[in-house]
Amino acid sequence: MVAENSTPHLHSAVEPRQTFRRALDMAARAAMPSLFVMFCAILLSAPFGIPGQAQLQFGIAMCTVWFWAYSRPRSMPALAVFLCGLVVEIFSFGPPGTVLLSLLVIYGVAHHWRYGLSRLGFIAGWLIFSIFAVLASFFQWALVCLHAVALLSPAPGLFQAALTIGIYPSLTALFVWGRRTFANPDQA
Amino acid sequence: MLSIHARQVLAKAVLPILILLAVGLVLLGLVRRPAVDGVRLMATDFMAPAYHGLVWPQERVTVWLMDLRGATDLAKENSRLREENRALRHWYDVAVALAAENGRLKKSLHWIPETVPQYVTGRVTRDDGGPYSRAVLLDVGSGHQVRIGDVALDAAGLLGRVTEVGPHTVRVLMINDDASRIPVTLAASHGDAIMAGDDTASPRLIFYPQDHHPVEGERVETRGQSTMPAGLPVGTVHYSAPNRPVVVPDADLDRLDIVRVFDYGDDDSQAPDAPGRVRIKKLPQNPLTGPLPFSWLPNLPDMPGRGGQ
Repeated sequence: MVAENSTPHLHSAVEPRQTFRRALDMAARAAMPSLFVMFCAILLSAPFGIPGQAQLQFGIAMCTVWFWAYSRPRSMPALAVFLCGLVVEIFSFGPPGTVLLSLLVIYGVAHHWRYGLSRLGFIAGWLIFSIFAVLASFFQWALVCLHAVALLSPAPGLFQAALTIGIYPSLTALFVWGRRTFANPDQA
Repeated sequence: MLSIHARQVLAKAVLPILILLAVGLVLLGLVRRPAVDGVRLMATDFMAPAYHGLVWPQERVTVWLMDLRGATDLAKENSRLREENRALRHWYDVAVALAAENGRLKKSLHWIPETVPQYVTGRVTRDDGGPYSRAVLLDVGSGHQVRIGDVALDAAGLLGRVTEVGPHTVRVLMINDDASRIPVTLAASHGDAIMAGDDTASPRLIFYPQDHHPVEGERVETRGQSTMPAGLPVGTVHYSAPNRPVVVPDADLDRLDIVRVFDYGDDDSQAPDAPGRVRIKKLPQNPLTGPLPFSWLPNLPDMPGRGGQ
């Protein structure tokens, strides 16, 4: 008899009441990573004249999708990745579809290996991410070459890969903090 | 309501379906690139006011910094400007004299005046190059008459050509883009060449005459061809390596602000049919033997091909 009532409803005493405002707050926090990618893509398409703006668009999208796909997949579902990719595609002028495809592939990899990646240290995760960043840039370069029917210099692609790999640690620091605070739906 | 099993299957199928859609977009980009670029142009059209708002603080800060820098060394700047003004006054006199002489010479030659090109001035909305291409979007306002192939210039020289036209925005492919090929004339050696962009700051010169190599430092101008008029300033020749002449553009390709797009029309340089090339209609055999047919007609027209031989 005691056993029947010994497992009370989980957090029944501490969970706040589900109001419309709280649901909205939770949705906003869960959508924070996708909104971040879209906001950066639109902001970086403005003519600021900063060198490497287009490459940063790609790099930020790759880092964000990779981090959230393995650390909290609920905040970055496949459909959100697709939408983010579409926004980046619309606000950039590279070969169409490459960023979108790269994001979906990197999402698939990170989502599939999320348990392994969570156990690995930061450096190992960064190394694996680097390999995929280089592969995605190489794919983009190959498509541009195919479209131009000429062998173009791979230097811009290498720069893009280097920039993507380079901004990963600082973005990870931001996301780790965000996962605990502003992008945490449980804190709503 | 779907069963748990069906929902699991659906969840697993979402990613492959999305990847297939992305592959479809890649293929669409390879086959029908203008369709994709049209959507991007529409998005830029929509965002153009927001871009101006975003860039406005940066522009203000740049202006303040320039003012501040000017205020710190006023005396030096003043003397430099005075010197420059003196030089410019000299050049103004030379230009006025040359214009008068030019007008006189043209008058004595019965020179047919060239048509004045139509132009619109636009502000660069966005640098939409990406890693592999060099292009800018210009906000030219609604109701413009810009056509594909029109020529874009900044204050100093040739910048590129229009490749796509939207309702408010046009896309200009710059001369240093990998896809850009501009026919040019070298002012001193009088050779023709093609200026080919290679995604670096200075486009290469190719297909120049092998017995007349470009000379270091000589001026490069456009060669009149279809919509491209002759004599637009492009830049100067520089050898970046032996046997590798490049053009150092006059236009500042990295920092673009105000750009003018000229429409020179495309039917100016159509060659007329030369009389010698006109196909002569076959004349009747021995037309003068016997009575002429239709001799009762008052005026027989001239036979084609007889005049101007």
